[in-house]
Amino acid sequence: MSATAELPTKEAHVLKGHEGAVLAARFNGDGNYALTCGKDRTIRLWNPHRGILIKTYKSHGREVRDVHVTSDNAKFCSCGGDRQVYYWDVSTGRVIRKFRGHDGEVNAVKFNDSSSVVVSAGFDRSLRVWDCRSHSVEPVQIIDTFLDTVMSVVLTKTEIIGGSVDGTVRTFDMRIGREMSDNLGQPVNCISISNDGNCVLAGCLDSTLRLLDRTTGELLQVYRGHISKSFKTDCCLTNSDAHVIGGSEDGLVFFWDLVDAKVVSKFRAHDLVVTSVSYHPKEDCMLTSSVDGTIRVWKK
Amino acid sequence: MASDEEDFVFHGTPIEREEEIVSRKKKAVAGASGNLRTLPAWKQEVTDEEGRRRFHGAFTGGYSAGYYNTVGSKDGWAPQSFTSSRKNRAGARKQSISDFLDEDEKADMEGQSLSASSQFDTFGFTAAEYSRKQVEKEQHERPSAIPGPVPDELIAPVSESIGVKLLLKMGWRRGHSIKDVRASSDARREARKAFLAFSTDENTKETSDSMVSETEVETSLDPQFSEDIKISESIPVYVLNPKQDLHGLGYDPFKHAPEFREKKRSRLSANKEAGFRKPLSMKESLFGPKSGKTAPGFGIGALEELDVEDEDVYGGYDFDQTYVIEDEQPAKPSNDNRLRLTSKEHDVLPGFGAAKNSDYSMERFNPPTIPKDFVARHKFAGPLEAESKPTLSAPPDVPPPADNNLKLLIEGFATFVSRCGKLYEDLSREKNQSNQLFDFLRGGNGHEYYARRLWEEQQKRSDQSKLTLDVKPSSSVQKMTAEERGSLLGEKPLQRSLKETDTSASSGGSFQFPTNLSDTFTKSASTQEAADAVKPFKDDPAKQERFEQFLKEKYKGGLRSTDFNRVNSMSESARAQERLDFEAAAEAIEKGKAYKEVRRATERPLDFLAGGLQFTSGGTEQIKDTGVVDMKSSTTYPKREEFQWRPSPLLCKRFDLPDPFMGKLPPAPRARNKMDSLIFLPDTVKAASAHQVSESQEHKKETSIDEPEVEVEVENVERPVDLYKAIFSDDSEDDEDHVMNGKIQEGQEKKNEAAASTLNRLIAGDFLESLGKELGFEVPSDVPYQEGTKPMEEESKSRSKPEGSSDKRPDRAGFKQKVEEKTSSLTLGSEEEKSRKQKEKSPRKRSGGNDLSSSESSGDERSKKRSSKKDRYRNNDSESDSSSDYHSRDKQGSRSRRKRRESSREKRSSHKKHSKHHRSKKSSSSKLVYSSDEDRKESKREKRRRRD
Repeated sequence: MSATAELPTKEAHVLKGHEGAVLAARFNGDGNYALTCGKDRTIRLWNPHRGILIKTYKSHGREVRDVHVTSDNAKFCSCGGDRQVYYWDVSTGRVIRKFRGHDGEVNAVKFNDSSSVVVSAGFDRSLRVWDCRSHSVEPVQIIDTFLDTVMSVVLTKTEIIGGSVDGTVRTFDMRIGREMSDNLGQPVNCISISNDGNCVLAGCLDSTLRLLDRTTGELLQVYRGHISKSFKTDCCLTNSDAHVIGGSEDGLVFFWDLVDAKVVSKFRAHDLVVTSVSYHPKEDCMLTSSVDGTIRVWKK
Repeated sequence: MASDEEDFVFHGTPIEREEEIVSRKKKAVAGASGNLRTLPAWKQEVTDEEGRRRFHGAFTGGYSAGYYNTVGSKDGWAPQSFTSSRKNRAGARKQSISDFLDEDEKADMEGQSLSASSQFDTFGFTAAEYSRKQVEKEQHERPSAIPGPVPDELIAPVSESIGVKLLLKMGWRRGHSIKDVRASSDARREARKAFLAFSTDENTKETSDSMVSETEVETSLDPQFSEDIKISESIPVYVLNPKQDLHGLGYDPFKHAPEFREKKRSRLSANKEAGFRKPLSMKESLFGPKSGKTAPGFGIGALEELDVEDEDVYGGYDFDQTYVIEDEQPAKPSNDNRLRLTSKEHDVLPGFGAAKNSDYSMERFNPPTIPKDFVARHKFAGPLEAESKPTLSAPPDVPPPADNNLKLLIEGFATFVSRCGKLYEDLSREKNQSNQLFDFLRGGNGHEYYARRLWEEQQKRSDQSKLTLDVKPSSSVQKMTAEERGSLLGEKPLQRSLKETDTSASSGGSFQFPTNLSDTFTKSASTQEAADAVKPFKDDPAKQERFEQFLKEKYKGGLRSTDFNRVNSMSESARAQERLDFEAAAEAIEKGKAYKEVRRATERPLDFLAGGLQFTSGGTEQIKDTGVVDMKSSTTYPKREEFQWRPSPLLCKRFDLPDPFMGKLPPAPRARNKMDSLIFLPDTVKAASAHQVSESQEHKKETSIDEPEVEVEVENVERPVDLYKAIFSDDSEDDEDHVMNGKIQEGQEKKNEAAASTLNRLIAGDFLESLGKELGFEVPSDVPYQEGTKPMEEESKSRSKPEGSSDKRPDRAGFKQKVEEKTSSLTLGSEEEKSRKQKEKSPRKRSGGNDLSSSESSGDERSKKRSSKKDRYRNNDSESDSSSDYHSRDKQGSRSRRKRRESSREKRSSHKKHSKHHRSKKSSSSKLVYSSDEDRKESKREKRRRRD
């Protein structure tokens, strides 16, 4: 099994510190650090390769659901149950700005490439774009064509892609001013984009991951075997786009072959729901977080 | 001190002598009367009320007037008292304010600070303090046996405190809790007497007041004490609650956080006396989460309220309770641990271990076998009980009585009884005691026939009800999944993939709660019964599939009536409401139905009428299901749709992209929002308003045709709402036709889409605008009315309910595609476009005019009309794949409609028209529009004429 050999299936570190469920774990741009957030309303900055907690950011009033770091590692944004998007300074730990406007919990946030805007996806069925450059706290744009909660958002250089419980993955292309809606027929839990930018992986609540061709909207592949029915579980692709990774509600992590959708590897990563998986941008290293309150670092 | 005085040497003369005081007072009185005014200034003295010379203070003049306001004596300042440096060196003497105050001033100062005299030292604190000081002083003087300060506890108050004294007088005895005083009325009476005696000069009210406050003080003194009052009969607190922690004496870790004291105590007590006292949960305390479902450890702020989102969705995981971290954990007695250890093993006495292998083996009994036909559901005796009985013995088949009326009556009655139960029969038997017609109930004429009929009916019904009962209780016991909960709550699951369609409760349709509920009631049964052998309509073996569906319908009707029985307890109004809902749902659905299904639907209510019950909605609703299934089977996921979307200029700037809509008007899809909001209105309101709008616009158009400039702007504001409604409704209809016709169209649409995507979007946007301008006033009035209402309703419903509407989305997709097709055709020649427009606007018009009436109209009438229209549309759709097709098709359609109106007049007016249009348009699109103006003109005129 040479395929499994190159997969990060060996536990390197367990990051403990969060009290209660960890809802998201994200690498920073170069993969040297990781930000995690959870039910305990804190965001924690780790060095996952050494297993050290570096800093704890506290300000959120409710659980923190997602974080994302700018590419220059200077700022990060977070969102959560308190319906606000926080824009933080990494080193000082201060909140630079709070963006209010969502009518419900905010499920996901992302910076764009130049870190000039934050896009947040909310329970209020909208995507909101917030400006980090100006001092305006009003959203630059509100995208409210979704019919249900927006669970996940991904940005490319020119597009905003959102996945919603209404079963659609909607791509908003700024160059041509078009919205492409791919209806998958199942609530979309999480979307992530392949590293070549040609495909979107959508985790659906029928325990299926679906791989879509972005240009045509075709369904390229379907990945099954894990459980994803009622919780937000993440999915992603390895940095070589060779495998698809998905967390399962029973604590397992699955690796599928991208092309033939075979389960290449699966192992128990956590005792409870795996809420998030994040893959290192360059190396074969993976972060998983779970409701059991731990974050685990996996290497090959 | 007395000895010190001997050492003093006094210099100078004392300021005043004793004898002088009296004379001074006299002087003062005299001075006041003015006698002294004759004295020279330096002899005058200012005195205070006691006759003393007034002293201003050394720096403000000394004695008034004395020696010219300088000093107090001829000699100058009175010198400080001299102390010999030989004996004790003069230290830096500390001055205090009292040095400069007179006695009366001092008395004033002290008067401000009240202090209890030692006698009224309520709790003996002052006494204790005083005695401690006393002891300390003593100790200073003569060292005692114990070095160092004496512990407080050893020094008892010298005298009884007033509080204790009072209590004692009130009947309290030492060692008893104070509550007893209040409890025993005897003691209280005594106490009151004593108290009155004790303070005779105070009135009764005061005493009672003070008594209350006294007791309150006592109880509030020590909350712990008051809590354990019952137990603390005569045991001191420190015996009751022995100190087990390692804190210093008197240290209270919860001093500043009393909330946690409760928590800790509850924890301790839970450990100690498991189950004896219900541990105080955090719930009751201030900071505790208010719902049991919140994640442990994380409360919410005091200013926030607990919401649904605070629920811990990740239940299941039991975090260890987070405790307040104390500096020192109390040292637990070791036997405590042992007890807990042993208590873990069941039924093992402390000190004993469980045997590894015992010869006592549990005898296991298999659970009782459940009979195959057992239904895990209670059947209510009473009305329904009669159902099962007659199945045992089938009455002989008897020819019906000769009297046809009687036969009908018997049959009807039998059906009714089978539905409503035996009780009804009994009731009516009593009621119609004397009625000859009902003789058959009492064994008279036709009784056998009645018995037979009844048996048959019941047989039929029991089959059905059994099925429903079998299916229902299945999954309710298991842990609910999101889907189950959703279905319980009446939420529509999102569309499923193909294979699941037949089992799913999701009809994907456009109705929310009530219909969905009825789905859950009936769906499983209907699917099962498809397999069942009972087929009331066997006569057409050729179309087996259709019959299956029809069977379903049939059964649904039957089931609905059982539902009716089952929910008999429902109030009349609730039932009526339910039926209304059903009907509304059915109406909205019908639009998408194939002709045959509709026909059947209209037949079905007759069945029910024959049965004596009117559940007309059952049939139509069933139709909805089948229609939806059809639609679903023709859709596959993923589906791609494309809409226009306008990124804000700032967004584009931030992404370093050129704004695709730079300098353009807001794009058309904006109107969609308006429409959404509009669509949330009740149907009637919406339709009416739409109608109004269109009407008013028409009027405007007609009146202002001579001064177009003004009018254009007005239209810009108002038009979009009904414009897009019109487009959407029309397109949705079209689209459903696509669906009905199978997948052929889909492929074509795809092609179209690909072609369309290459088109210039600006043109599309402008075209939409022009379309909007033109649509409002080109409505021909003689188009069949009924169809239009359907798409409207359906559209609105689907929109008001986001989950269910995903299968409606194709409507918009269709719309977009068509727009693009239109744009492509525009480049070729814009004639098709206006004819399309005609087609589109007609449904809107219809909907505006007829929404109310049509919603009430019966299904068959509607269906007929629809079918006719559908046929027409089908033709259209088959040609819709290319712009050229559009062209020809539209020409056909529009021409046929317009033929009689065609006249040369058009050309005349086209100029005017064009100029107006031009003004409203972007110049880029003006050319395109120009070519199509003619047709628009013509249609408009035609419409006007028709109105006339």
